[in-house]
Amino acid sequence: MNGHQESAGRQAAPPAHLRATGIHKRFGGVHALRGVDFEVARGEVMALVGDNGAGKSTLMKVIAGAHTADEGAFSIDGAPVAISSPNDASRLGIQVVYQDLALCENLDVAANLSLGSEVVRPGWEFLPRLLRPLDDLRMEAMAREAIDRLEVRTLQSVRAKTGGLSGGQRQAIAIARAVGAECSVVMLDEPTAALGVAQTEQVLDAVRKLRESNHAVVYISHNMRDIFEISDRICILRHGGNVATWRTEETTPDDVVVAMTRGLDAERDRAA
Amino acid sequence: MQPEAGASAAGRFAAMRETRLGTFLPVMLALAAIWTWFGLGLPLYEMATGRSDSFSAIFLSPRNIYNLFMQSAVIATLAVGITIVLLLGEIDLSAAATAGVCAALLGVLVLAGVPGWLACLIVMAVGIVMGSVQGMLVAYVGIPSFVVTLAGLLGYQGLMQKILPTGNLNVGDPFVRAVARVLVPDYWGLALAVACAALFGFASFRKQSRRRKLGLELESSSALWGQVLAFGAVVIAVVLTLNAYRSLPLLLVLLVGITALMGWISTSTPFGRSLMAVGGNAESARRMGFPVSRIRVAAFGIVGLMAAIGGIFGASRYGSVSYTAFAGGSLLLEAIGAAVIGGTSLFGGRGSVWNAILGALVIGSLGNGLDLTGASAADKLMVSGAILVLAVAIDAMSRADPGRER
Repeated sequence: MNGHQESAGRQAAPPAHLRATGIHKRFGGVHALRGVDFEVARGEVMALVGDNGAGKSTLMKVIAGAHTADEGAFSIDGAPVAISSPNDASRLGIQVVYQDLALCENLDVAANLSLGSEVVRPGWEFLPRLLRPLDDLRMEAMAREAIDRLEVRTLQSVRAKTGGLSGGQRQAIAIARAVGAECSVVMLDEPTAALGVAQTEQVLDAVRKLRESNHAVVYISHNMRDIFEISDRICILRHGGNVATWRTEETTPDDVVVAMTRGLDAERDRAA
Repeated sequence: MQPEAGASAAGRFAAMRETRLGTFLPVMLALAAIWTWFGLGLPLYEMATGRSDSFSAIFLSPRNIYNLFMQSAVIATLAVGITIVLLLGEIDLSAAATAGVCAALLGVLVLAGVPGWLACLIVMAVGIVMGSVQGMLVAYVGIPSFVVTLAGLLGYQGLMQKILPTGNLNVGDPFVRAVARVLVPDYWGLALAVACAALFGFASFRKQSRRRKLGLELESSSALWGQVLAFGAVVIAVVLTLNAYRSLPLLLVLLVGITALMGWISTSTPFGRSLMAVGGNAESARRMGFPVSRIRVAAFGIVGLMAAIGGIFGASRYGSVSYTAFAGGSLLLEAIGAAVIGGTSLFGGRGSVWNAILGALVIGSLGNGLDLTGASAADKLMVSGAILVLAVAIDAMSRADPGRER
């Protein structure tokens, strides 16, 4: 665990917004996370990288409340918090954009953006909430705002069914959905996997918009080009533990790949 | 590669399907085709070939239209319920058997002296329980709905035979009979139709003005007027036709009222949105915090309720409960066929209860028209099968997304 002490720009790092310390997670006999420390600040894109099986997805799911950590602590702006369910996480303002996006393709963009937090019209309080009339138009207006904020220019109408949209548009909508909920931390799981160049650029633009709007962004990816284009810091995991957290501008893709695959010891051996 | 003109025509058709009334288009076309054939084509053909010496418009006579609506009412009631579970991506094979059990129970209860209104409420509650139990098996035990409701179909058929050992029971209770017998006076029926049309127009234009206020994209005003006028014309024409024979039956008012309620619940409430979301992508719905299991149970409860109402309607219309009219007959397949012909996807997430009513009319019109021409039961089955395939094929082709076929 001496990796992060060596990280070059540590003292210059902005104050953490979300911090996870000493996270352990076991699945039966598999020790998936072995005391991982992780932090992300507001207005920062923190890339989370690691080889397959390094624990990136597990860490993300632990932070999202989809898995419960066996040991470890979380804090937001320095105050300790508990995350043991997806509802805990979303209440704390943590949102995840999963790799499979999980959009409902039979619904339009506006409906997808408001899914799970539908707006109902006032004045129907005598009915149970599930049976009050939806305020479709309010949701449509909110969807328009969310889409405009992320500047998804190619999207013609928020009334289009998501099933007919391009991969980049869908990714942007999934991001907009995460941001639409009151949130401060957005975690993106492989957002540009399987996208073309133009569509990748569209997604990276959306991520930049998130950073400008002072969100804390966690960006999980294998794609070094995207990571070095978008991230401020890079947190490297290996075998369920931290290797290092580096400032992106102070490192190179090669160093990151070496750290990911062989850890720092290997690198030190090579330097010696 | 598709030819250019064909692709753009298909694209236009698909775009048209996205509008509110556009989803009705295929089933409306099917209905129009069937009515044209039985009402106009067949009589003209028979006159031309000399098989009959005068033009007979029996099919489109007010009397036959009245019978057609009444015949289709039970199918439509069940089809509305089945549409709700189809939206979830599930299926209910037990709806007709549930309706049979409820109708039989209704008959036994009123025979035992329970007042008609109370008996109706009891069987509706029983229907909800019968549906919910199946829903729980699907949602919490994880058995596919096909299997659960197939077991339900068999079990409830048996249950119906237990309740009705003779297989037949007359229902003479005045309250139950009134459901199908009471007619709305001519002027009231017309007033109701005008009120419905006015309400639809008012809602449409108010929505448009709110859209303008919120700065949202507007419906084209010709489409808006077209929808309002078409809706008004159809509603008023139906009532005038029914008035020309007898009058608007209470049964149809109840059916349309219940369907309107179901339509409103399934499209305009958070519950309806959750139905669509679970049907479209259950995993997504779960992640977004929807109580997926409870939604499933509720949907099956609704089918149970609609089946019970269908049972009441049937008992009221026939004045008796028989095994073959419900559980043992073709009601189930007709109801599922009606929902599917209406354009509701078997894979969930797409469809509407109003389409189920039109689908039921298609099925009912076929049966009625073939009966009038003296076709055999075998002919009826074969034609019904062909129409089912045709309707689903039209639906699948109009839905094919040009962007994805490339």
